[in-house]
Amino acid sequence: MRFLLIIPTAWILVTVVFFLMRVIGDPITAALGGRLPAEQIAQRKAEAGYDRPILTQYWEYLTGLLRGDFGRSATDNRAISDVLLVNGAATLELAFWALLVAFAVGIPLGFFAATHRDRFGDASLRIFAILAYAAPVFFVGMLLKLLFAVKLGWLPVAGRASTNVELALQNVSPKTNILIVDSFLYGDSGYTIDVLEHAVLPALALGLLTAGVFLRLVRVNLIQTLQAPFVDAARARGLSEGTVTRRHAFRNAMIPIVTVIGLQIAVLLGGAVLTETTFEWQGLGYELARYLQARDFVAVQGIVTFLAVVVAVVSFVTDAIVALIDPRVRF
Amino acid sequence: MQRYSAASRTAVRKHGKKTAAVAALSVLALTAAACGSGRTDEAGGSGDGGGETITVGTTDQVTSLDPAGSYDNGSFMVMNQTYPFLMNFAPGSSELEPDAAESCDFAEPTVYTCTLKDDLTFANGNPLTSESVKYSFDRIVAINDPNGPASLLTNLDSIATPDEKTVEFTLKAANDQTFPQILATPAGPIVDQTVFPADSILDDDAIVAGTPFAGPYSIASYAKNSLVSFTANGGYNGILGTPKTSSVNVKYYTSSDNLKLDVQNKAIDVAWRSLTPTDVESLGSVDGLTVHEGPGGESRYLVFNMNTMPGDTPEQKLAVRKAIASSVDRQALSDGVYKGTYTPLYSVVPTGLAGANTAFGDVYGTTPNRDEAAGFLSAAGIATPVQLNLQYNPDHYGSSSSEEYAAIKSQLDATGLFEVNLQSTEWSTYTKERVADAYPVYQLGWFPDYPDADNYLTPFFAPDNFLQSHFESPEITSLLDLERTTADENARMQIIGQIQTELATNYLPTLPLLEGKQIAVATDEISGVDETLDASFKFRFVTLAKS
Repeated sequence: MRFLLIIPTAWILVTVVFFLMRVIGDPITAALGGRLPAEQIAQRKAEAGYDRPILTQYWEYLTGLLRGDFGRSATDNRAISDVLLVNGAATLELAFWALLVAFAVGIPLGFFAATHRDRFGDASLRIFAILAYAAPVFFVGMLLKLLFAVKLGWLPVAGRASTNVELALQNVSPKTNILIVDSFLYGDSGYTIDVLEHAVLPALALGLLTAGVFLRLVRVNLIQTLQAPFVDAARARGLSEGTVTRRHAFRNAMIPIVTVIGLQIAVLLGGAVLTETTFEWQGLGYELARYLQARDFVAVQGIVTFLAVVVAVVSFVTDAIVALIDPRVRF
Repeated sequence: MQRYSAASRTAVRKHGKKTAAVAALSVLALTAAACGSGRTDEAGGSGDGGGETITVGTTDQVTSLDPAGSYDNGSFMVMNQTYPFLMNFAPGSSELEPDAAESCDFAEPTVYTCTLKDDLTFANGNPLTSESVKYSFDRIVAINDPNGPASLLTNLDSIATPDEKTVEFTLKAANDQTFPQILATPAGPIVDQTVFPADSILDDDAIVAGTPFAGPYSIASYAKNSLVSFTANGGYNGILGTPKTSSVNVKYYTSSDNLKLDVQNKAIDVAWRSLTPTDVESLGSVDGLTVHEGPGGESRYLVFNMNTMPGDTPEQKLAVRKAIASSVDRQALSDGVYKGTYTPLYSVVPTGLAGANTAFGDVYGTTPNRDEAAGFLSAAGIATPVQLNLQYNPDHYGSSSSEEYAAIKSQLDATGLFEVNLQSTEWSTYTKERVADAYPVYQLGWFPDYPDADNYLTPFFAPDNFLQSHFESPEITSLLDLERTTADENARMQIIGQIQTELATNYLPTLPLLEGKQIAVATDEISGVDETLDASFKFRFVTLAKS
């Protein structure tokens, strides 16, 4: 039943995106206005069907989506489905790395802060957490780039791989467009390391955003759980404080994190626009920014619709996982 | 107390173990990568795959590889390497010469005839014949794509192909001296009629798959606006010469910051368009890098709307234009805003082109003259300060536009003769409003279609010009008609000079301010950059080599 709710959710999202885009005008005028005489604009609108009733256009858009047809971009004549496939893989890869950073940084540090409550380490980490999620992601990205790529020269400035690696991975078969997977398929460890090197700074910039949230959440949950009666009972059974914390309190404290992961996917996708632009990471956010700048609303509509549906699906998956690991939760 | 079933406890335990394992692996991987362990030379930051491969970085994006569907710098750069042109410019020259053609000339005043070289073929093996040429031009006109170059072919009436090697262009207006130049513009690439459809734009991937290339390079792999790899095309024997490098990659950036940092770190070999003036200045002091400069064709200027600009009569409006011409300090703009990457422009035709003069400098001086400006205004009975609404665009002509126009406002305000109200509008609105008489005085810029003075005159000052600023002069129109149809080169240059002087002295429909240099930054290992930065404004890979 919960799964079926995705359909109306996605439909509402698609509808909202479609009509919002139309409120600001038709895509032809947005992309070509000022470059062509009014009569030629009108002719092209007629050819593309944008002079027909809005509901007719809406119906065609919906049926097109069901066939997987998102249309073609007005500025560079690219199939939007191709953009979603190729650039979506890049965004998926970045989101994966960013989540790893968020887990690797947020959870252990949250654990440490909770177990050292109100001490110097805890206070420092709370400040770090606030800075991590309050600092604009592009600002953090630029700082990281300045330090690790320009000053120290340890890591690449931008891109998903070095030029020769990217070229080589274009010919790998089967090609997933997820470069870390493609590099494994290619079978060259040097290429894998190169791909990882390129992922470090974008992953840190985007991952720290979420790591701050995880850190605070783990800390608060763990502190609350450590005060719960079942933890007292565990202590009364003579278990050591470390065992009580790790085996009983920490595992319970982690359950709400799963819910937050779902919410953070939306934050990550939003942050990806800025991260990808900062690091020339050619994912959906990068393309979205480029098409927005070019006022290519056919492309913008397709990408935004896709992202909205992804968030809806992730939300469902998160709910399902929470229900799976916590029997008290029912949808 | 919370109670769990055995199953859920197991699930939580397994979930925890998996999470810990993934986190540990990722930390290890990221740490190893951060330390640079395992970095190999071939996968490092050199930006090439060994041998003599060169990587060029640019911010110019590709709209389409189909010549009928694009008319922009990014697409044209790729086309210049891959497609054949009837006429072209040899590296280091702005002299138009036959390329795929053996010869081209006016057979009659309205017929321009080209004869193709023998045995031309595309990289896919298909023959390149006169039919290919006719097909290429006809489809640009037929498709008339809004992103395409059909507007360059307005004087083309029809094309005939009497035999496999002969192409006859019939023109609407006789003796059009600019038509041969158009054969080397974005309207000029010759395509394979078996690959490209006659009535629609072909997708880039389909073009690459069809290998319809007959220029010095073919495209080996193509990721649009990401990474394109070119390999030398052994079948090319045109005037561009044999490529000095067999393999060239082009890496695309959206941010000039990243382009700058990558060339600074030597991750790419050449940065070509569009570094900011500050970036160029900064890169000039980096060891192992050289800033290469070529003649500029890009002009920046003010446009006066003849109806809405300040002044009650045409005479008063002219006096205001002259006063502004006497007040601006182009050198200060060049030095202060553009760090010398743009230089003062004293005519509507940039200095690198045949026939260019310095009419505005001659008439109004090369340094600001407040007294002269005041004299123009008082002679026309204009009260000062003149209220001036000055519009510019912050997102189309580079990030320095804001600084440039703040400086112009400051210069005009400092004379005490003007009170400037500076306003900016984003590009899509700007392009609509400027032709709707919304802006009395405003910024525009121009990048040429072909390196001929006429490209800076007719589109601007002939009737129904693209400025739509209500300027029209029978005298200028007549001179322009004469200039376009005069076959004698010396006589034509004299007319072009006369037009520039007349415009500066008596009309001032626009006020030229600056001309942009062509700038490329390359590592010291790269040679041949200067050879391609010539007045043809075509960046060619054939001259580039890596030592």
